[in-house]
Amino acid sequence: MAEISKRRFLQLAGLTLAGRISPQVAEADPLQHPPRVIIVTFGGGVRYSETFAPEGLRNIPRLAEMRPHGFFYQSCSNSGVLSHFNSTASIISGNWQRVDDFGFQPPASPTLFEYHQKQAGAGPSRAWVVATNKSFAQIAPQGANVVLPKQLLLDAVRDIVNKPSGEGVADRENVQRRLESLLSEGYEGVGWTIFKAGRQLDRHVHETLTRALVEYINGPEAPSSGDELTFFMTREIMREFAPRLILVNFWDMDVAHWGSYSLYLQAITRTDRLTGMLWDEIQSNKSYKDKTTMLVLPELGRDGDQNTANGFLNHRSGDPSCRRMWMLAMGVGAAPGETERPVQHVDVMATAAELLGMKVSDISGKPLRELVG
Amino acid sequence: MAGSPKVSPLLQGLIDKGLFDQLPATFSTFFYDQIKDWDLLFPAEHSYHERLFGLIDRSDPALVNSLFAPVRAAEAKMGVTEKSWPKRQFTLDQVDFLNRSPHYPEWRKAISDVFGRLDPVLDAELSRAGRPRLVVVTSPDELPVGPDRMWLRILKHGRRVPVEPGAFHFDFATNTAYDTWKIQAEGPPEKHGSAVHLSYEALKPYRTRLMSEVRHIVEAEQIRGPRQLGSRLKELKMRPDESGLAGDPVLAEFTRAVLLNGNGTLLINNTFVEWASVQAVRRARPSLVSISFGVRNKVKPFSSLLIYTDQDTASPVSTQRDMLGTYVDLEIFYQYIWQEFEKYAEYRRNTAYVFVADGMDELMVIAPTDFPLMSVRGSVHPDRVSAICREWMGL
Repeated sequence: MAEISKRRFLQLAGLTLAGRISPQVAEADPLQHPPRVIIVTFGGGVRYSETFAPEGLRNIPRLAEMRPHGFFYQSCSNSGVLSHFNSTASIISGNWQRVDDFGFQPPASPTLFEYHQKQAGAGPSRAWVVATNKSFAQIAPQGANVVLPKQLLLDAVRDIVNKPSGEGVADRENVQRRLESLLSEGYEGVGWTIFKAGRQLDRHVHETLTRALVEYINGPEAPSSGDELTFFMTREIMREFAPRLILVNFWDMDVAHWGSYSLYLQAITRTDRLTGMLWDEIQSNKSYKDKTTMLVLPELGRDGDQNTANGFLNHRSGDPSCRRMWMLAMGVGAAPGETERPVQHVDVMATAAELLGMKVSDISGKPLRELVG
Repeated sequence: MAGSPKVSPLLQGLIDKGLFDQLPATFSTFFYDQIKDWDLLFPAEHSYHERLFGLIDRSDPALVNSLFAPVRAAEAKMGVTEKSWPKRQFTLDQVDFLNRSPHYPEWRKAISDVFGRLDPVLDAELSRAGRPRLVVVTSPDELPVGPDRMWLRILKHGRRVPVEPGAFHFDFATNTAYDTWKIQAEGPPEKHGSAVHLSYEALKPYRTRLMSEVRHIVEAEQIRGPRQLGSRLKELKMRPDESGLAGDPVLAEFTRAVLLNGNGTLLINNTFVEWASVQAVRRARPSLVSISFGVRNKVKPFSSLLIYTDQDTASPVSTQRDMLGTYVDLEIFYQYIWQEFEKYAEYRRNTAYVFVADGMDELMVIAPTDFPLMSVRGSVHPDRVSAICREWMGL
């Protein structure tokens, strides 16, 4: 008998289950489905020294302000492969992932999103991944809508420039060219295949988000960075679809690869501000207020200043600066406090699953007792 | 021997007698890769490889076996076999294999321990032949701070020296090939004897073409990732009409590697200067290095992700200089550069580091106590600083 993989089993189970549930049930009133979990990663990597170390607090005023109101893990480690895809895949799968660094393979074990799809019988609008890096299109192959805001921005701007308005054709072409170049992102300096549409979104969802984006980029708050787009899209998704489970992967700070320390610090502060705004949204959105646990953590660190590579520019040395980070939990289950007890990135999935009332198995992470009781 | 690189007779002799094949596969293949383009390496690299493998060859075989035993143990756990790891062939796939192995930290520690035993012996040889060296790091004159806010990360290792008004001129060089380097962000390269001159600004024709060609490769050829891109990038060699460096294959290849392997070096002038300096130290071990930073331009809206696009032409927004950002960037680069030199035995205890900033009335020096600026009283004129440096180098 052919062996069936755990992932395949979950996929089949999820698909079968989904087929039996009417759309009305699957997309029931979100208020009927507390609790909720939002995982926010400082993607691209950030060091302790520029964040929660005493000298770094000035870069993260919002998180520093939030810390006394949540539960803070002083030591949250990444013991896996120090690439972006594997790091975030480990966070959401509960196992250290060692797959292709550039997203050409999905995580080797089921993610939180797959369990969620199966056990909650949830439709695709109930779980979302909002990311920047194209490789993340494959990070949750089942159970989540994966949206890459910059891809949507391109779609939106294409719509704009393709309108025969007869004005500023040259400029619009310039915009188009620049935005296409945006999609060639990846600070490590090599080109990945451009996913033309990331994971294909449901047509209605895609149109909804694109329409919102068109309004946004023509409005007074026009985004100037990828992370601002990510925040905006996350907020729109929360307001429009109120999903139970969201992964938000901010990314601007990976500009560190360019070798500009000031741009890296600016990006950290911007992500700090946007994370604070996300918490504000949770507090003001009735679908989320008092129902949500937000877990904020860096995807990985970056090499220490003493490292033989080139310090903050890279994140592959495996030194303590690369591996030892922090995590801040806010909201439901996160009574004010902190601990020196070392925890690991893979514990995030186990904890989120328990907060969502889901059963998971065959993972190396453990639920964090401070959050799940 | 088939598959062997063209190397020096000494190293070839060691290869022929089977030395490389007796070493752990991950170790020997890495070095095969390092020496495969022997003619494109600097003399210091030739010397290092000959000394390293000469040392291993003349050491007690039992000692060598015990030295490498932890590496072999880690390789076994990782599944390194002759089939999975062909000898004498090192690729990015193998880098990937190592990075993704759960035993990577153990392997890395084992390798680090090997060098922890070998390096002191090699360093002792170098220290016995030590000679004065000089590193001058110049900052641009538009930084929005006074000297009291300069060089703060490394100040504890040196001292400030008041400077009289005037311009600094470090227009001297040694007579040895690749021994004097002038690496600068702005302006045309200044010619001084046999010195190597790298100017980010002067390399603009090559940089622009590289950006254009890489963008084309990535987009038109649908390159999947770094492993596929790597071999294509090696083909992007400098043309004679783009820079005088093209006439020297070693320097042309060095420049290509700095621009394409260093993050941000195509786009940001000071990143180029820092990475080129770090690579020059690692590879060429020069005696006299002059490093001149410039002012970085502000990143234009939405363009922060445009790696392979000329910022001047990609956006109609006018280019602005970022003085404060430059100051923040350079403070950490001063530390990285100083640290990089100090990693190597050639520089420890005999190198004078002079940090100057155009228009500022103080400089900062880190040096052995017998370097005159370490004990000078009162302010000094820039001409006197130049003279002291020249005398230190015996020029």
